[in-house]
Amino acid sequence: MKGFTKYFKPIYPVILINIIGYFLLYLYRQPYEQATVFSGLAVIALICITYALIIKLMLGDEYLFLIVSMLVSLGIIMLYRINKELAVKQILWLALGIALFFLCYFIYTRFAKWDKLIFFYLGGALGLFVFTMAFAKNIKGAKNWIFIGDFSIQASEIIKVLYILLLASYYTNPEKLQINGLKLMGREICINHKLVFIVISYCHIGFLILQKELGTAFLLFAVFFLFLFVSGSNVWVMAINACIASIGGVLSYLLMNHIRVRVDIWMNPWADISNRGYQVAQSLFAIGAGGFFGTGLGLGRPDLIPEVHSDFIFSAICEEMGVFGGIAVIFLFFIFVYRGVKISLMAKEPFDKNAALGITLMFGLQTFIILGGVTKLIPLTGITLPFISYGGSSLTTGFISLGFLQAISNKY
Amino acid sequence: MNMERRTIYVLVFVSLLFFILVGYLTCFELFQKDRIVSNPYNRRQYEIEEKTLRGSIYDSRGKVLANSVVTDGVQKREYPYGPMYSHVIGYSSRKYGKSLIEAKFNNYLLGMDDSSAVLSIKDKLTGNAREGNDIYLTIDHELQEKAYNLLGDRKGAIVAMNPKTGEILAMVSKPDFNPDDSELEKNWSNMIDDEDAPFLTRATQGLYTPGSTYKVVIGAAAVENNLSDKIYEDKGTATIDGKKISNSGGKAYGKIDIKTAMAVSSNVVFATIGCELGEDNLKEIAQRVGLGASIPFDIPVSQSAFKYNRMSNADMAAVGIGQGKILVTPLHMALITSAIANDGVMMKPILVSRVERRSGIVLKRQKPSELYRIMSPETASHVKDMMVEVVESGTGKKAAVKGIKVAGKTGTAENELTARQKNKEHAWFIGFAPADDPQIAVAVILEYSGSTGGSAAAPIARDLISAWVK
Repeated sequence: MKGFTKYFKPIYPVILINIIGYFLLYLYRQPYEQATVFSGLAVIALICITYALIIKLMLGDEYLFLIVSMLVSLGIIMLYRINKELAVKQILWLALGIALFFLCYFIYTRFAKWDKLIFFYLGGALGLFVFTMAFAKNIKGAKNWIFIGDFSIQASEIIKVLYILLLASYYTNPEKLQINGLKLMGREICINHKLVFIVISYCHIGFLILQKELGTAFLLFAVFFLFLFVSGSNVWVMAINACIASIGGVLSYLLMNHIRVRVDIWMNPWADISNRGYQVAQSLFAIGAGGFFGTGLGLGRPDLIPEVHSDFIFSAICEEMGVFGGIAVIFLFFIFVYRGVKISLMAKEPFDKNAALGITLMFGLQTFIILGGVTKLIPLTGITLPFISYGGSSLTTGFISLGFLQAISNKY
Repeated sequence: MNMERRTIYVLVFVSLLFFILVGYLTCFELFQKDRIVSNPYNRRQYEIEEKTLRGSIYDSRGKVLANSVVTDGVQKREYPYGPMYSHVIGYSSRKYGKSLIEAKFNNYLLGMDDSSAVLSIKDKLTGNAREGNDIYLTIDHELQEKAYNLLGDRKGAIVAMNPKTGEILAMVSKPDFNPDDSELEKNWSNMIDDEDAPFLTRATQGLYTPGSTYKVVIGAAAVENNLSDKIYEDKGTATIDGKKISNSGGKAYGKIDIKTAMAVSSNVVFATIGCELGEDNLKEIAQRVGLGASIPFDIPVSQSAFKYNRMSNADMAAVGIGQGKILVTPLHMALITSAIANDGVMMKPILVSRVERRSGIVLKRQKPSELYRIMSPETASHVKDMMVEVVESGTGKKAAVKGIKVAGKTGTAENELTARQKNKEHAWFIGFAPADDPQIAVAVILEYSGSTGGSAAAPIARDLISAWVK
């Protein structure tokens, strides 16, 4: 066994998957294109160089990046099969993401006052909200995109990172949010920091709902609620928050058409299959068509699913790589969450602990929300599958968070 | 509880979410997907159908019963025997969908099952035309043809099977239809509204009162409760709980035992036995022979029913003679008959023996398996003796075949029409042969025929038995 482990490195399966994937893609795309080979080599080179740097420079946990590189590889292979142009763009985003990963790693390690910037995070998030409300264009029904020249950035991806930092700083220095000596109508009032924090969190969620970013709103609430639990909140505080969320959920179901539509589709996508239920139905067809072993790369019809390159990429993976392939993706996220929680437990300083846990939960819960959505386990709320879906904002902010997590893993 | 511990709880919670997803996906693949992918909005379905040469269906000796041919790039499903297999194989039409074997084994016929997916990767990569898999039925074409002709234009069903293995040898339901796509197109709207229900597969989905054929079940319960040596006084009629029970033609048979009562199909004696057995025994034996349970089969089967909560004496008397709130499918009666022939063991019915790739690799093979043990071998042999007597000297004489010992039971079942009209009884016959080494079990029903089972249904069984047992 020792001899085996000596020659077997965990990076090999990642390389192997890429070699097999691009070989099949090369066969699949007629006429044969050299670009396919070069794309494959580019991805392998990016992954190997990054991994080598992490090992050589001793940047902490080596498995985090390995897991992520497997996810990214699967995602780009699938994208290449669906739409070559998007895959090439995604490879560029991957390069940028890796650069940001190292950058954030070093910034996080050098800069020590992360927990003091709570108002900066808050201001940043509010600024983005106001900016997007005022100037943003509507993409796919969500009003959350910022345009800079030809580029569009999804603000909610940045807000997610800011919210995690805010959360971590609050739980490190809660008293910063305490409002004392506020003069109102001649009386001096004190507002407890817990209440302030809860109000701030609900503001984030409310803005996201207004911008029709239901997936992110749901995600932030889930992270917020789990943090209430981890920080040892009173049972009553949690119960009241659960009540508020339920009432809010019911009210928005009754008042907001786009939320009602989501729930109705979830209950029965077949009733309006040609129209509103079309997407989920196509997703289920794809997952069903693949069976356990999949049709094989390039041999299914994932292109029949609308938005297959972003939110619905998991259905495409299930169709062509089989439900076993899909389960493999879920297990990769599972071990990622395990590593992340372990890093949080090993960390000594409260901010590191909270940030590590927040980032991990963000990835884990986001995965569940979108996978549950495309498989019709829970109502579908548009959100990307971390590291796999196409999208520059999603991939780069994913690597930013990963850089933070990597830095924390190396501190202890 | 400290923060570390709570963090671990959160990890457990998120892991649980992931495992729920994995479980849900697995369940989806196993149980839900077949229903979902066949939705007409799934374009994959007809794209695959167009590029796949749909598999053929053969009888047990390799005779082609259904195949697809391509002319000028258009694929057409052909059924060489027209309506003869319409209630076995069903139809496969782009417009009207699929039924029976064509529906249930669609994935195999199109080569879309998981094992085909792995085996046909080479074809896909080389761009060869896809080929579906072939299906071999347990049906024997010669016997099917015989049964088909014997039933003629009468409404009803015939099921013939091998009692030792559960293999269905012939299965006919009438009225039937021509499953050819263009014929369906012509007749569809008429057939949908037709009161004779030509789309109803009577052999597996027709529910009928069993009438006197149910006496074999009551006979088994009587043997188990030591009533087989008892002598009954048959005066031709009896009144039980205010309900008048009379023998066919009002005949009185005097002092007889159960064997003679079975042979002459005495309603008076069996109604009495029904009451003597009592509610619990009647319910228990009904449950044991599978009434109210679903029968696993390769095409849809209706559930036979025994719809009693509390039973009065009149109910028990009615059940004793196979009337009352009992409903069975012809397939189920064939299974019960087979079980008596097979020492009390009911075999799972099999219609598809195997699925093969064109290259000869077997993808699925159905082996004989036990479904229920409905009675002990001793009881079964007792009932068998009674059934032999039926054919030798009783109501089933017309089922007798020279040189072969046939066991059987006739039935003339009253139904919802007999109360208002004359000559609307169902004519039943169930039987098997040779009694000492059963090779075939048969259930025949002629619905609303108005004749007795002994005169109308028994000769059909006789001809099938003599054709099969050589």
